[in-house]
Amino acid sequence: MSRPLASVSGLAGLTVPGSYGAKVGELGVTIAERTGLGIATVAACKGKSEALKAAARKAYGVELPERSIVASGRDILFIGTGPGQWLAVSEKYANEELARELAGRLQGLASVADQSGGRTVIRISGPRARDVLAKGLPIDLDPRVFPSNGAATSTISLMGVQLWQADDTPAYELAIFRSLSGSFWRWLAASAAEFGYEVKPG
Amino acid sequence: MRIKCPYCGERALEEFTYRGDATVKRPRSLESDAAEAWTDYVYFRHNPAGLHREHWYHGAGCHAWLTVTRDTRTHEIVAVEFADKREGT
Amino acid sequence: MTSQSNRLRDGGLIDRAKTVRFSFDGETLTGYQGDTLASALLANGKKLVGRSFKYHRPRGILTAGSEEPNALVELRTGARREPNTRATTIELYDGLEAASQNRWPSLKFDVMAVNQLFAPIFGAGFYYKTFMWPASFWEKVYEPAIRRAAGLGRAASAPDPDHYDKAHAFCDVLVIGSGPAGLATALEAARAGARVILAEEDFRLGGRLLAERYEIDGKPALDWVRAAEEELASLDCRILRRTTVFGVYDGGTYAAIERVNDHVKLPPAHEPRQRLWKIVARQAVVAAGAIERPIVFGDNDRPGIMLAGAVRTYVNRYGVTPGRRAVVFTDNDDAFQTAVDLADHGVEVVAMVDARAMPSVKAKEIAAKAKAPYFANSVVQRVRGRQAVKSVDIAAPNGEVHRIDCDLLAMSGGWNPTLHLTTHLNGKPVWNADLSALVPGALPPGMSVAGASAGQFGLAACLASGRLAGTEAAKACGFKPKRHKAPKAADESTEASPVWQVETSRGKAFVDFQNDVTISDIKLAAREGFRVPEHLKRYTTLGMATDQGKTGNLNGAAVLANVTGRYVGAVGTTTFRPPFTPVAISALAGHHRGPDFRPARLAPSHKWAEEQGAVFVETGPWLRALYYPRAGESPQDSVNREVANVRTQVGVCDVSTLGKIEVQGTDAGVFLDRVYANTFSTLPVGKARYGLMLREDGFVMDDGTTARLAEDRYFMTTTTANAVKVMQHLEFCQQVLWPELDVQLVSVTEQWAQYAVAGPRARDVLQRLVDPGHDISNEAFPYLACGEINVCGGVPARLYRLSFSGELAYEIGVPARYGDALIRAIMMEGAAFGIQPYGTEALGVLRIEKGHPAGGELNGQTTAHDLGFGKLLSAKKDFIGRFMAARPVLADANREKFVGLRPLDREARIRAGAHLVPKDAEATAKNDQGYVTSIAYSPSLGHWLALGMLARGPERHGEVVRAVDPLRGEEVLAEVVPPCFVDPEGERLRV
Repeated sequence: MSRPLASVSGLAGLTVPGSYGAKVGELGVTIAERTGLGIATVAACKGKSEALKAAARKAYGVELPERSIVASGRDILFIGTGPGQWLAVSEKYANEELARELAGRLQGLASVADQSGGRTVIRISGPRARDVLAKGLPIDLDPRVFPSNGAATSTISLMGVQLWQADDTPAYELAIFRSLSGSFWRWLAASAAEFGYEVKPG
Repeated sequence: MRIKCPYCGERALEEFTYRGDATVKRPRSLESDAAEAWTDYVYFRHNPAGLHREHWYHGAGCHAWLTVTRDTRTHEIVAVEFADKREGT
Repeated sequence: MTSQSNRLRDGGLIDRAKTVRFSFDGETLTGYQGDTLASALLANGKKLVGRSFKYHRPRGILTAGSEEPNALVELRTGARREPNTRATTIELYDGLEAASQNRWPSLKFDVMAVNQLFAPIFGAGFYYKTFMWPASFWEKVYEPAIRRAAGLGRAASAPDPDHYDKAHAFCDVLVIGSGPAGLATALEAARAGARVILAEEDFRLGGRLLAERYEIDGKPALDWVRAAEEELASLDCRILRRTTVFGVYDGGTYAAIERVNDHVKLPPAHEPRQRLWKIVARQAVVAAGAIERPIVFGDNDRPGIMLAGAVRTYVNRYGVTPGRRAVVFTDNDDAFQTAVDLADHGVEVVAMVDARAMPSVKAKEIAAKAKAPYFANSVVQRVRGRQAVKSVDIAAPNGEVHRIDCDLLAMSGGWNPTLHLTTHLNGKPVWNADLSALVPGALPPGMSVAGASAGQFGLAACLASGRLAGTEAAKACGFKPKRHKAPKAADESTEASPVWQVETSRGKAFVDFQNDVTISDIKLAAREGFRVPEHLKRYTTLGMATDQGKTGNLNGAAVLANVTGRYVGAVGTTTFRPPFTPVAISALAGHHRGPDFRPARLAPSHKWAEEQGAVFVETGPWLRALYYPRAGESPQDSVNREVANVRTQVGVCDVSTLGKIEVQGTDAGVFLDRVYANTFSTLPVGKARYGLMLREDGFVMDDGTTARLAEDRYFMTTTTANAVKVMQHLEFCQQVLWPELDVQLVSVTEQWAQYAVAGPRARDVLQRLVDPGHDISNEAFPYLACGEINVCGGVPARLYRLSFSGELAYEIGVPARYGDALIRAIMMEGAAFGIQPYGTEALGVLRIEKGHPAGGELNGQTTAHDLGFGKLLSAKKDFIGRFMAARPVLADANREKFVGLRPLDREARIRAGAHLVPKDAEATAKNDQGYVTSIAYSPSLGHWLALGMLARGPERHGEVVRAVDPLRGEEVLAEVVPPCFVDPEGERLRV
């Protein structure tokens, strides 16, 4: 029988740590892949929204958001992606574990589907992070408009993306479709080059 | 054109897919005398010059089907609601 | 190298310490930092800069802005060559190379200038009238000849080596133009706290203030500009220089092009040449200024004839005089300021010609100041000099003609507000009789106009209207502006009484310089019935090409009005559409070119497949392995081998690209019953079923298999091509049709790497992958079984016993992050059983041999009955498409139905798309009975075969028909057979 299967990132071979692009003054952006995350979609069952919210409150100490923001629960982020729908992201419940964890706790209240293998998560931070994202993302990330716990489901350069603000440095995390990792990376590298960027190990 | 999605906020036209008249109702009857109702439902649409209630799909965003009231003469959007008003319940 | 003979001793917003070298038509010249190509050419005494479009007449520089119709050059060389670039907007840089256009062999001696001799036949509608017969000559003879003779610049033939960017921006107030009105607007809005974007086409802020010697608050206006710029920088205002807002779209969306690095020889590393901005603004203020009108008189296109305002720009901004002896010809007082500015710089003004019937007091004052003879109620009747103006004949009201030597004629027929952006959403300009100009009419929501764009021509009026617009825009965004001190300035004269044209003049009188449209062309068109501006444009080309009639349109309307006995306002103008000025295709494409033309979705096995030397094909957004050629194999060899290997041993194919949707909830079964024609609520857990999805009109939409993983959890697959469409459809059903159902849908296409393992040895391969404890024997895991298992030591997986090939087959799915490792494991474990990968081409051959319908058959025109799936249509439930599928017309026995086709001549190849006609009938539309949907060479059978749709097909098995391919001129006799060619009983997939 074959040895255990290796997990391979959608960005394998692309994210080589180092400094790239223009080298003028301050480094514009820092880019790092986040690997090993548990990622799952959670969708409320018909008529179970309130019960689901109560269960999430109890299990993770979180108020499931009803709009496009990210809410931090114990060990899990819940990002509002649509009416009665969330994207759950976790470091602690890694990979497929998160979907199992959520499905167990939210049984009968929500449908859970594992997406941990189907997304590539990239963290983009630094003083020019907004300028880089503006080259593809049709969303106003200005702090007066986009809250520090803001999130959005949209497209970047024709590629679907789920984005949430991670901190005010600013840092954003983007979940993109795994199959588009290569195309997305080429867009990101082309867009960030003008400002200078550093790729950090995932 | 920009549509204010009740979930995602205001977004550009490219994120949405148009379907058409939101006022047509799918007939329930499968009896043969329902033929006219079905033909109306599947094929015939009014083409009003003015306010029009229509279905749009926010495929690049929250995947919600929306009912948009739009003035076909000016593209002014008067109202945007979830097509499923029970959403979230 | 010529010295800058026409450079004034001092003055101008140029840096005389920074000499810039450039070349024009191979001649090396110098200018200064701050010059445009046009100002530098004029500084060097270059008046002749191009040849006209149709008549190849010598042309000079007419304007100092983006409205320039004449001075179009090819900028740069090689792959970076840009045709039709306006010399008046090109910032001079060291090493700039430009060449004149549309001349051969040289600018001064142009062979095609003989076209002028044929002017009478080159009139309006010339092409339409002349090249009528024979029709075939149009493409082969006339058009190529005309294209050679009449044309603009040459585009580069090599790919553009530069990078082009796109970006989104959002603001409260977008201010378009940075003249006095725009700056005042931006200041008020930004001071109120609004987020402001100020877009300026030029590389300097200031607009008209750069070209005039105005004062604001008792100081030079440029001091005020500098202060405004500094203040804006301290506020929330993004200033985009070199940026043209070129289009207005619904919802406060504006498109702009920023020429980030057009002003340098090469963009610095990592920087784009241009950036396309998509700006969403809650409020926008158009403060785009005004464009001066020429006067239409004989030979008004001679080099050395220039708009009066442009002359002031060259003198004041660039420290250049376009001539040494100047005549000013105008119908308004404003233009006489040109005489003053020239005289102050020591240029001799030899005549001031005033076309107005009433002499102007103001003009007389100016004439005295400029020491220039004043000719009231007079016109320029004739211009002498071909490649440059030598003298003009001035006709006085008493009939006297004064011939005056000059080398510069500054003309002005008044000003037109630059209102193009106000019309992009169908706004109609309105005629303002006081200004004798069109001014903006109804504006799109959120847009206002200020300054000259709004018809406020005086400086004080511009500042005031800008302040008001800025305040109002800020208020509309919810800000509460405070009052600030108003800048003080005087209003210059804005009186206007245009003469439009000089009827008595001799020579060709040009209305549209760029398209060589003259008064007589418009008169001819009017005689022939083209009396509406839109018609006139198409017939005469007035207002076409790169400048879109910015200087000529209203004059054209005036001529038309004159001929047809109307007033100018009643004639109006054509609709202005985006873009305001030409935009490079590269800028619109941005990142999306070459391999990034659109994003490519790569399957989990992509990297591995590349290592195997696979040839890829685009399938919707995906790149899939088409076949895996070995050394020396032709594509057909490779496909034949891959197919044969599946039939005899075992193959593996990446099917991850199929759409995958989890359908969950207590009503999941009910929901599937309603969206599929067949029934799923009765499907046992652990089983999969083929599903057929109809559209509501009764035709087939998509198919796939759906597996039941748990009581309330199904896993649906769709075709690769329809994945997005099906998801959208299901969500419509879920949210709009049956919101009461408890069903949740989520796409998991990306989550699962899925491989089909097919062939007699498929189970042997899988046995070596699945973890102990999972029994996948035929008894325990029969055809159409499915289950959640573990593979390779605990990796969660899903196994489905499905077969598209007709062989014993499985589809195995693992989380996509294991996809790369799994294909390698499958190949390793399968080696002992002769496993080989197969691509989509072999996949297609296998399914054609089995007669499974796919894209060619699910073409939107076929029904379940047509495809032989009539028995799937459940009669026990409602489902999408049920009622309409039962329409008599769709159940008609005469419809074209699914058949197999076998060529009688086993060497012959049936072509996809061929029409099916009865064996002995003529190949006419009347006898057309169907068409070929799919073809393949079958290695299993050793000949070509086909699938198709044939009228009453199933009743005609055994009959011979002709497959006619009129495109290739081929015909093949084919026997009609059932669509399944291999193992029709389906025994092999159940072993």
